[in-house]
Amino acid sequence: MHIAAMPSMSVPLATNGDLGEQLELLAEMGQDFASSLDIGETLSKALARIARYLDAEAASLFLLDEHDRQLVCRACFGPVNITGLRIDARRGVVGRTVQDNTCQMVRDVRLDPDFAKSVDENTGFVTRSILCAPLSVKDRRVGAIELVNKRRSTDDESDGLFSDQDRRVLQVLASSAALAIINARLTAAVIEQEKVRRELELAAEIQRNLLPRRRAEDFPVVGVNVPARGVSGDFYDVFDLPDGRIGFSIGDVSGKGINAALLMAKTASIYRCLGRTIDDPGRLLALVNAELCETGTRGMFVTMVGGVFEPTTGRLCFANAGHEPPLLRDRLGEYRAYPAQAPPVGIAADLFPPEGCPVTELRLGAETLVVFTDGVTEGRLGDGSPVGAIGVRRLLERHRTLRPTERLSAVVAEIVRPGHPLHDDLTMLLVEGPLARGQGV
Amino acid sequence: MDCEIRDEGGVAIVALTGDVDLETSPRVRGALLDCVGAKRSVLVDMSGVSYIDSSGVASLVEAYQTARKSNTKFGLVQVSEAAMRVLELARLDRVFAIHSTLADGLKDVGG
Repeated sequence: MHIAAMPSMSVPLATNGDLGEQLELLAEMGQDFASSLDIGETLSKALARIARYLDAEAASLFLLDEHDRQLVCRACFGPVNITGLRIDARRGVVGRTVQDNTCQMVRDVRLDPDFAKSVDENTGFVTRSILCAPLSVKDRRVGAIELVNKRRSTDDESDGLFSDQDRRVLQVLASSAALAIINARLTAAVIEQEKVRRELELAAEIQRNLLPRRRAEDFPVVGVNVPARGVSGDFYDVFDLPDGRIGFSIGDVSGKGINAALLMAKTASIYRCLGRTIDDPGRLLALVNAELCETGTRGMFVTMVGGVFEPTTGRLCFANAGHEPPLLRDRLGEYRAYPAQAPPVGIAADLFPPEGCPVTELRLGAETLVVFTDGVTEGRLGDGSPVGAIGVRRLLERHRTLRPTERLSAVVAEIVRPGHPLHDDLTMLLVEGPLARGQGV
Repeated sequence: MDCEIRDEGGVAIVALTGDVDLETSPRVRGALLDCVGAKRSVLVDMSGVSYIDSSGVASLVEAYQTARKSNTKFGLVQVSEAAMRVLELARLDRVFAIHSTLADGLKDVGG
């Protein structure tokens, strides 16, 4: 048996022969790889150059599939086109080359037990000898280049077989091709990541536009939303009703990422749309629930508070579906929590009575209602401790003399600090009674 | 977090121990959906749950919704204080069938 294996370490390009020609070939290939955006076309071109230079009758370039289980022919040169052919990554001379990560020279394939005859049988091509080099950079293997049958020529001194010189040349050229393939894949991955990043940025921008516009400083209902990632699963909304009252909502979608962001957009839109004509927040939440259950995704739900505020009288009605209890701060600085009286929306249609969920009615004078998502209570303070339910009250008290918008910004600034990424989206909404307004409660 | 499944009279008892959070809830979700998907009645023993976050709650909700869709019984038993606080806060104690003992749960699901 005439089988020779040689490690694919760096080797001298030529010990004899035309070094100038070989360097020129290497330079041309390098230029092709550097200038082309189509790695498939460049590999075909490179394979043809190599086959012609080394006088091979045929050549093929195999790459490992994504699971490293199969070798797939990606480029071909010669009389038979086997592009797309898949073989077991452990079979044949090509498989052995990849597994051992060494160059294989088979001078007579009939004597090599690993030689796969099926290709010859299917195509009618007759393989006599093979020179096969791994496409690898150190231990990172991507495939192999296989040259078949050295052409006989009149001035051939090596009896029509691949020589050690051919082997050295092929190894160097294969290393160069492997590096180009790895680089091309890295570039493709970076481009893909960039594409996803841009799409997320666009989604985040669309989402920011869904938030209500900034109002005059003395507007009594204000909110803030800080996404933990690019897009948020939290939302808040504030909208004017025709009779001068103000509708509002705040919600937290279970889960994170794009699916939560999409459900957030849907829920906020349904609430706002229905909220222009239906002023009962309990009924509104039941309608939102029915709509979400009809078209929802299992395992996803929304905790939310919806309400209506009448700025002239201070009358406030709100309903709570599974959300963190809103806090009412009275004129003495005491806080009272209003726990949910209904489950979150989006779980099952029959969980809400047809008349809607219970509504709490308050008359705000110097009082303020604060509603927030669990990103606030689960946030961390400067010393690393969790904010918690009591911490929210402390933060609100610490900044009580500030106007509503500044007060929310100050509370958020204590939780959102540079260098400390948020684990959850953070949203707060504040409704201020007519006597508390502008007085810095 | 441990997630052990045993059979009691044809009812799958899924016992959760430890923290059910963003990291561990996919395992809980998979186990619950496997049991519900096999059309078995399921009781989740939550006596050992020390913490559950919204992703854990979402796993329970998804299993509950899937069970309802396939007319399979699904309930929670021996819910720890920490887990019950979370369920009560979101009024999910009104959604799930919750039993204080395993025997009550088995009686309810007909095991």
